[in-house]
Amino acid sequence: MKLLLKGGRVISPPQNMDEVIDILIEDGRIVEIGSGLVAKDAEEFDAEGLIVAPGLIDMHVHLREPGLEAKEDIYSGTRAAAAGGFTTIACMPNTKPVIDNAILVSGLLQRAQTEGIVNVKAIGALSKGQEGHELAEIGDMIQSGAVAISDDGHYVESAKLFKNALEYTGMFNKPIISHAEDDSLASEGVMHEGAISAMLGLKGRPSAAEDIAVARDILLAEYTGSAVHIAHISTMGSVELIRQAKKRGVAVTAEVTPHHIALTDEAVVGFDVSAKVNPPLRPREHVDALIEGLKDGTIDAIASDHAPHAFEEKDREYIYAPSGFSGMETSLGVIITSLHHTGILTMKEIIEVMSTAPAKILQLDGGEIAVGKKADITIIDSNFEWIVDSKKFYTKGKHTPFEGKKLKGKAVATIVNGEFVMQSGEVVK
Amino acid sequence: MTKNQVSMGKKDILGLQNMTVPEIEAILKTAEEMKGIISRDIKKVPTLRGKSIVNLFFEASTRTRTSFELAGKYLGADVVNINTGSSSLTKGESLRDTLFTIEAMGVDIIVMRHEAEGAADYAAKIVSPVIINAGDGAHEHPTQGLLDMFTINQYKGRLKGLKVAIVGDILHSRVARSNIWGLLKMGAEVHIAGPQTLLPRGIEQMGAFVHKRVEDALDQADVVNVLRIQLERQKKGLFPSAREYARIFGVNSARLALAKPDALLMHPGPMNRGLEIAPDVAYGEQSAIQEQVQNGLAVRMAALFLVLMGGDKIETIA
Repeated sequence: MKLLLKGGRVISPPQNMDEVIDILIEDGRIVEIGSGLVAKDAEEFDAEGLIVAPGLIDMHVHLREPGLEAKEDIYSGTRAAAAGGFTTIACMPNTKPVIDNAILVSGLLQRAQTEGIVNVKAIGALSKGQEGHELAEIGDMIQSGAVAISDDGHYVESAKLFKNALEYTGMFNKPIISHAEDDSLASEGVMHEGAISAMLGLKGRPSAAEDIAVARDILLAEYTGSAVHIAHISTMGSVELIRQAKKRGVAVTAEVTPHHIALTDEAVVGFDVSAKVNPPLRPREHVDALIEGLKDGTIDAIASDHAPHAFEEKDREYIYAPSGFSGMETSLGVIITSLHHTGILTMKEIIEVMSTAPAKILQLDGGEIAVGKKADITIIDSNFEWIVDSKKFYTKGKHTPFEGKKLKGKAVATIVNGEFVMQSGEVVK
Repeated sequence: MTKNQVSMGKKDILGLQNMTVPEIEAILKTAEEMKGIISRDIKKVPTLRGKSIVNLFFEASTRTRTSFELAGKYLGADVVNINTGSSSLTKGESLRDTLFTIEAMGVDIIVMRHEAEGAADYAAKIVSPVIINAGDGAHEHPTQGLLDMFTINQYKGRLKGLKVAIVGDILHSRVARSNIWGLLKMGAEVHIAGPQTLLPRGIEQMGAFVHKRVEDALDQADVVNVLRIQLERQKKGLFPSAREYARIFGVNSARLALAKPDALLMHPGPMNRGLEIAPDVAYGEQSAIQEQVQNGLAVRMAALFLVLMGGDKIETIA
């Protein structure tokens, strides 16, 4: 089975490649890159005017399976990924039961083989049951395929446990992903603490709750020499702490979400449950600092923190609604709209943070277009205009703060293992 | 002088943040007429005969619920009280389904009290009866804001240019927020003070002056509005003790003397006498606390009347 991608603008950040060139794929691998390629028996795809990128990787997704299938499952979640242009996703372990041992990791990966249409990577829990008391069987999970370790959804309150986890996970050369928000400061809050929360009478999650947690995590990573990846950073304090830590050579990386880049806490006005998320949406000065952090490389990656919920769970009083919303199907569009068409990042830089960097952090084979590489490819129309309509989502989670927003830029085809899984917005598998 | 036609017909009353000055004026003016009805020997008028009102209270309340109930009854409406005592959260039925059930019974107005901020806004989005917010968490309590303004206006003859001090737990107070929105719209100056732990960060952006010392907020004030302090806040580490609160933040005669000699003293109730307010001033001659209760009834009658009867017969002179 051969596939020839003709005349696309191929962008591959590792080699600094950005040129109009053809790509020939055979049996799931890239076999040739060159101009005027001809292959008689190959299916041809006209990529003229389109960007051909290494498959996008969303390193922070909640697939909700097992146990929370009313919100999402592997079937719907991987289709949402394909629709959004992602060829690989890494899923968080806060399921029911929590993915905290090897049999659950291998079971999840096995199920993803049969139900899924994109590559699914598992992230194992840091503590048993994500309860923050005892280390989970980290080594066993990593040997069964876990690409990282995280108690995402919870901050590991005990500094001692977190230090132990860093030391232990470091032996296996995998990163710990931290949801960095100090609980004692943040847990009562339902939005950013500031003028908007004061006005709405809602309890706030202070930016300092994140700053403090990020500072501790960095100091322990520095102390242990192990790698920490800070998930969904949202404050200017975090950006500055990570910037300084990187200068000192600490093994810290960070991701930011499209919603923390494109929205502010004003989105909560009117008590919109679709704008409720942890960490919360922040005011403009924090958003500006995040964008600056992306520009100067302080922030390595963009991840959606795709966190779908069943409609009826989200449809209630704001303070009782669960935090989080779907993100994979809007992620690329939101990023191209708010960072590329505004002149902040080039498409190459966007592909770097949405493919190459996540591949590097999670040590995945990807993030690059080169002969011999697995043919995971995302084809992007950076000028495609569309309106977000959750009714058309493949995810089960129909809440999004971008509902009805006009976006410019979209994945128009997703190729996994040399085969189309999405074309023109339609999942084809 | 310009004449303003204000129609509040079928309009939800969710908060004072989004209420216009003509609407506020219309309610205050109508409330004066309603006050006349309350003082009659036979109070019942047929104005809202055939209309139905449900008081849907998810939180315990005596004065607000009674006030709305009598307001509806004096105007001739049928009033039903639903006091769940507990929220829909513990009851199992979703708020959406509870509201749908009430809507299906052909109710004209739902007066709603709920511990969740935004609950009234949510209700207004999903059902057709007029929603009157009778308090949603720490967000708004619009009829309390209106009755406070009505009371101030009754004694001072105006709102514009007055200095109003609001003292106490601003963080948890829907009364404070509705007062701040309403008073600022009507041209008063609002000064707030209380323990720093109970002053929400960013509150100054609503337009009120924020003081570190209660004394500074009270200085030359025309009106002093004292907020209730709930003792469970102390358990959560927000202030050290009831004793210290009373000593440093309580409004007593010495502190009240810092305000203008004819300053009006108000409290939304229920009071913790000896804690946020000293008994001698609460019952003193500057106190309008009893009057507030009666005015609450008049303001709620006005609100019910205006949202049901369209209010297009009401003309306000701006």
